Amino acid sequence: MTDTIIIDGLAFALPMFVMSVGGIFSEKSGITNLALEGLQGFGAFCGSLAAVLFAYGFAGSSRMPYYLSYLIAFAGGMLYAMLHVLLCIKFKANQIISGVVVNILAVALTTFLTKRINEALFSEKSNKFVLETSMRFTVPGLSRIPVLGAVFTNVYPFEVLIIVIAVITWYVMYKTPYGMHLRACGDNPHSADAAGIDVNRVRAIAVILSGGLSAIGGMSYAYSISASFSPDIYLGFGYLAIAALIFGNWSILPTLGACLLFGFARSAGQALIQRLGMPSTYNDLVRILPYVLTLFLLIFFSKNNRSPRALGEIYDKGKR
Amino acid sequence: MGDPGFIVEMKHITKCFPGIVANDDVSISIKKGEIFALLGENGAGKSTIMSVLFGMYEPDEGEIFIRGEKVNITSPRHATKLGIGMVHQHFKLVSNYTVAENIILGSEPQNKLFGFIPRVNIKKANEDIAALSKRYGLKVDPESVISDLNVSTQQRVEILKMLYRDAEILIFDEPTAVLTPQEIEYLLEIIRGLRDGGKTVIIITHKLEEIKAIADRCAILNRGRLIDIKDVKDTSTAEMARLMVGHEVSFSVDKTGAVPGDTVLKVENLTVRNDNGYEAVKDVSFEVHSGEIFAIAGVSGNGQNELADAIAGLARNTSGKVLLCGRDISGLSIRQRIEEGIAYIPEDRHNLGLVLGFTLKDNLVLKNYYKPDFSDKGVLNEKSISDNGIRLIDEYDIRSSKGNQTIVSSMSGGNQQKAIVAREIDLNGKLIIFMQPTRGLDVGAISNIHKQIVAERDRGAAVLLISLELDEVMNLADTIGVIFDGRIDRIAKASELSVNEVGEYMAGVGKGGTG
Repeated sequence: MTDTIIIDGLAFALPMFVMSVGGIFSEKSGITNLALEGLQGFGAFCGSLAAVLFAYGFAGSSRMPYYLSYLIAFAGGMLYAMLHVLLCIKFKANQIISGVVVNILAVALTTFLTKRINEALFSEKSNKFVLETSMRFTVPGLSRIPVLGAVFTNVYPFEVLIIVIAVITWYVMYKTPYGMHLRACGDNPHSADAAGIDVNRVRAIAVILSGGLSAIGGMSYAYSISASFSPDIYLGFGYLAIAALIFGNWSILPTLGACLLFGFARSAGQALIQRLGMPSTYNDLVRILPYVLTLFLLIFFSKNNRSPRALGEIYDKGKR
Repeated sequence: MGDPGFIVEMKHITKCFPGIVANDDVSISIKKGEIFALLGENGAGKSTIMSVLFGMYEPDEGEIFIRGEKVNITSPRHATKLGIGMVHQHFKLVSNYTVAENIILGSEPQNKLFGFIPRVNIKKANEDIAALSKRYGLKVDPESVISDLNVSTQQRVEILKMLYRDAEILIFDEPTAVLTPQEIEYLLEIIRGLRDGGKTVIIITHKLEEIKAIADRCAILNRGRLIDIKDVKDTSTAEMARLMVGHEVSFSVDKTGAVPGDTVLKVENLTVRNDNGYEAVKDVSFEVHSGEIFAIAGVSGNGQNELADAIAGLARNTSGKVLLCGRDISGLSIRQRIEEGIAYIPEDRHNLGLVLGFTLKDNLVLKNYYKPDFSDKGVLNEKSISDNGIRLIDEYDIRSSKGNQTIVSSMSGGNQQKAIVAREIDLNGKLIIFMQPTRGLDVGAISNIHKQIVAERDRGAAVLLISLELDEVMNLADTIGVIFDGRIDRIAKASELSVNEVGEYMAGVGKGGTG
């Protein structure tokens, strides 16, 4: 049973983690990003649409390689994040409101488009793009290790991708000039400006990147737990990712810890249901476990948190 | 054409902001390797003209020449390229970065990881900065984090930031406003060292002694106009003060002897714990009479804030009594105390004195907006609030760009303080508490506030003056109490105390003192 908990937990936690990393990028630069939910959904929509069109083009005889759908999802997420950039940076709108708008629009837009495209191409009334579940692999040898071996068993390729992305983003954030500029913009944009850094440009890039990273998370869910793209993808994982990054104090490694905690809470709950033979109606109750956990953790730990100092502050050059 | 004898020439600079001419046809020329001071009261236009030089504002009229060449400075970045650096009054530092990270920000030294992945070479930065700080005698550890450093060290980081970018023209905006006397001494030494190292220094200040101590030449501004440029060694402080204010200023305060009346405030065995649970005020007793200025002298942090807060109602007393006209007010709320006749000018004018985002007229009724004069059945009467604002602005000469409608955060410190003083005095209280009333103000504003303190005493109010400035205490007080480590061990008539004796009690070494 521990094996299932670990395997399912990881498969759930890592896509959330990559969204959180995206959120960290945006928020460390000083832009509040509640739009992760919408960004991951829109990205998943783009990737799934591409996969469906690909299959349609080849009359089902061939399916799109994963990396291609991920690339398209990534691009779609970045494109859609530009809306948040436009609202928050160009028009200096309130970042909370902009995030909420981006989320609501994503749900409406992708649902509408999915239905229309299904009708036009396949003449069926469905709000779903059905994908097959991603392949999984098991690392020979390593997977034999007791307990920990589960980490190397039935692994989705995207889990590896996400870990690689996390390492790269950590490097960019803490070791490169861009990362240094980014974190400075989130703490004191006036200092950054005085040092000759284009604050708005740095922030725009960070938000766009957060869109791309969220999309990778969304695409991973589409290829795993839902095996499709449908409005069901907006289950609140994006919000959970925000909770995780706050709980992780806007740092990448502690945020991974938070995501794993949420992931294991979920998979353990599910395992428990099966163990006790509970009727499936209780499933929904178990699904809220990570959220309840979040609530409690935030109550106890958030007082030690230090958000980026200029988070949510609209940067206005003229203001001294 | 510029004159190559000067490193900076600013000719006929005019800069207007809505409703105010900040610089009116100002021309200054600065020689290479001199310390040039800009002297003027708050709002005289000193900071504005330097912001123009640093590219933060573009002038409406006028020309700038750097090293004899005409330039059009469009941004701070551009100014940096021209070798101009500026230490702002509010430092521009990233609080969670190290010293080195702050200094290199925007021009990071880089190397390649595995020969192709770019990274910030923080090791080289640390070494470079250690070398630079050694060369100029600026003590800082490149690896410490800004938020752990005190103000004086942060200022040194700002100076290093300019030097790291090879600035030759160094602008300091009110550099000593936030420093202690020892730190000021050290800073002036550094500035002299920079000049001797060939840098040109421009210093904005309203402190005459500092100019006398380090500057070679001094430009005096008043209300946006250049009054004169003087060689400092040939000019007396009194002369500079006269030019700056536009009329003779007396450094002493004219006042007649006190005619104390009934006891207004009586503090009995008052003990106050601060937020950390520490007894900041210990068993303090004193009386303030109507028509008397009772001054509390002391070094910062000896319980003055807690004492004032306990009387005004911002803090609760742990034990003891506070009596106003014989009635114990310890249990009353802040508003009840205000209605009983306590006015309070707090030290922290931004957090306790004003609502910075509100207009001037609204700030002027903060303590009585709910009274029938200004509101009717819970609805504010805009007309009477506005009339009240116009009256007080006129009576107390509060200067701002848009009068009643000015957002107070955009006003100069001196005028913000004038607004608070106007509001509090207008309450016509029985007791007025002045806490550090002249902190950060210029000579003209100080003498203005001192006059008002005396006038309130003469009206018959009891005045409690808490000040860290010994001169202020000695000039104004009728009675002096000296506070040290939360205790007031010495209370005497001002005429019976010498400056030295007060100083000894302030340091805790006076007769009967604890140290």
